[in-house]
Amino acid sequence: MNEKISIPIDVDSIMEKASCAAAVFSQLSQEHTDRIVEAVYRAAFDSRVRLAKLAVEETGIGNWRDKVVKNVVATQLVYHDIKDLKTVGIISEDERKGIVEIAQPLGPIFAVIPVTNPTSTVLFKILIALKTRNPIIIRPHSSAIRCSNEAARICYEAALKEDAPEDCIQWLENTSRTETQVLMQHKKLALILATGGGSLVNAAYSSGTPALGVGAGNVPVFIEQSADVPFAIEQILISKLFDNGTICASEQAVVVERSIAAETMNEFKRKGAHFLSGEEMKRIENVAYDSGKGVMSVGVIGKTALEIAQMAGIEVPPDTRLLIAPLQGIGKDYPISSEILAPILAFYVAEDFKHAVNLCIDLNFHGGIGHTASLFSNDEAKIKEFACVMNAGRVVVNMPASQGAVGGMYNSLYPSFTLGCGTGGKNITTDNITARHLLNIQRISRRRVNQRFERFNKELYFDESLDSEAIEREYNRNF
Amino acid sequence: MVGYMEEGGKLCCKFEQRLDTVNCLAFENEILEKVKGFAGEIVFDLEKVNYVASAFLRLCLRVFKEIGSGRFTVIHVSPEVKRVFKIAGFDKDLKIQ
Repeated sequence: MNEKISIPIDVDSIMEKASCAAAVFSQLSQEHTDRIVEAVYRAAFDSRVRLAKLAVEETGIGNWRDKVVKNVVATQLVYHDIKDLKTVGIISEDERKGIVEIAQPLGPIFAVIPVTNPTSTVLFKILIALKTRNPIIIRPHSSAIRCSNEAARICYEAALKEDAPEDCIQWLENTSRTETQVLMQHKKLALILATGGGSLVNAAYSSGTPALGVGAGNVPVFIEQSADVPFAIEQILISKLFDNGTICASEQAVVVERSIAAETMNEFKRKGAHFLSGEEMKRIENVAYDSGKGVMSVGVIGKTALEIAQMAGIEVPPDTRLLIAPLQGIGKDYPISSEILAPILAFYVAEDFKHAVNLCIDLNFHGGIGHTASLFSNDEAKIKEFACVMNAGRVVVNMPASQGAVGGMYNSLYPSFTLGCGTGGKNITTDNITARHLLNIQRISRRRVNQRFERFNKELYFDESLDSEAIEREYNRNF
Repeated sequence: MVGYMEEGGKLCCKFEQRLDTVNCLAFENEILEKVKGFAGEIVFDLEKVNYVASAFLRLCLRVFKEIGSGRFTVIHVSPEVKRVFKIAGFDKDLKIQ
């Protein structure tokens, strides 16, 4: 049962507790911090199956086995990624440059948790916050309160056993929009880690508190003619079917060159994809897209292809795993060209490479700027050409886009459940957010004189007749 | 261990060790009992303390709430502990020297 009773929260009390936790945290050594993080990792990892089942039971989104994998990424892979990271005190010394870097915690972090990856995002954010000695306040999605807060509770208990600061992890019940805004604007809050829907992320950015947010995705996957088609289709299915398509980096549209279109379609069909007819597509659009809001319908998120077909009232073979809509255009007149976090793919046939890349650019800019683009190719020049014209924080090549973008499984990207989308997605970074982003780095700067500047006759700067070329000539003389 | 010294209307509590959770819980009630019946100024001397746990901050808050503003001072704080009070925002209510 989902309890949706709104209980007024005492924002000042929450923030006072968080500030005290931040204060105590500031004294912890690297060794003590790492002990806490390891204990939390182990407790969270050991709860991966129970939390996954709880998440599916509460939200009705996705499937528990894939949610287990998400919890594994959020704990085991994230832990292995951050465990040796220096996050306390002096973290680097460069004698030549005279720079010593000191890691300092940020302070209380407010973590917005999405409904699609609730427990994994909680576990991930808690681990990176604790590793950097920052207290964290978990704000679960209203449809995932129980599982999110249970994940937080497990972590907190484990942390306390290693003498972590009291209230280093807090979690909220069903908070109102106003309460969330008041918390986000609280003067004692250091950072908002905003993973979720556009309106909450925008609220985070508008709060005046620094925020690391995410952008929406609309991931094109281009199967270039040099690609290994059966391999590509297999990888796309691994990604698109993962947790029934709930990862924002999952492929949304396949673009294929005409020369390999038939092979691609046959391979998709062979692996359980159903290509929609015109009438079927209209029915799917009606259930999968909310034309009033101009976004995907909540009701299809994380459902299986069969469930969606049933919702739409269309008959598909019983072994159907994926619904594919062959489209001629992109934009609001083609609802399935938008992001839909379910096993539904748009499908485009391009005349050639140039046409295909242009289609991918249109898809990329149709609601997914800065997020992720995917490519299957064995042509190095074309891989680089494609990547250079995409506006995507991650261009993943020859791998499942969901797992590839999240990192740690198929590549060396930092494993993360908060994927920065750069300025295109209104974010400050294109990075996969991790512990490295939750530190204030102080720099001790020792005297290392710039000899060119020192010996240069600075009076020349005041001579207006000297242009940059003349100044540079003098500045660089004998260097 | 806490040493108590009462002089000139002041009760000075001198802490002799790292103030982690276990140590704080051992003397928390004892200090609160002493504070409750005391009409003068309360002084916490942290000269030998270089770490304070959440439990100690909570004790400070309880003492502050018990006796009110102006009668509670924390003295001889190390820079590390001073920063803790600053981050926690206690420096606005407590006199920290």
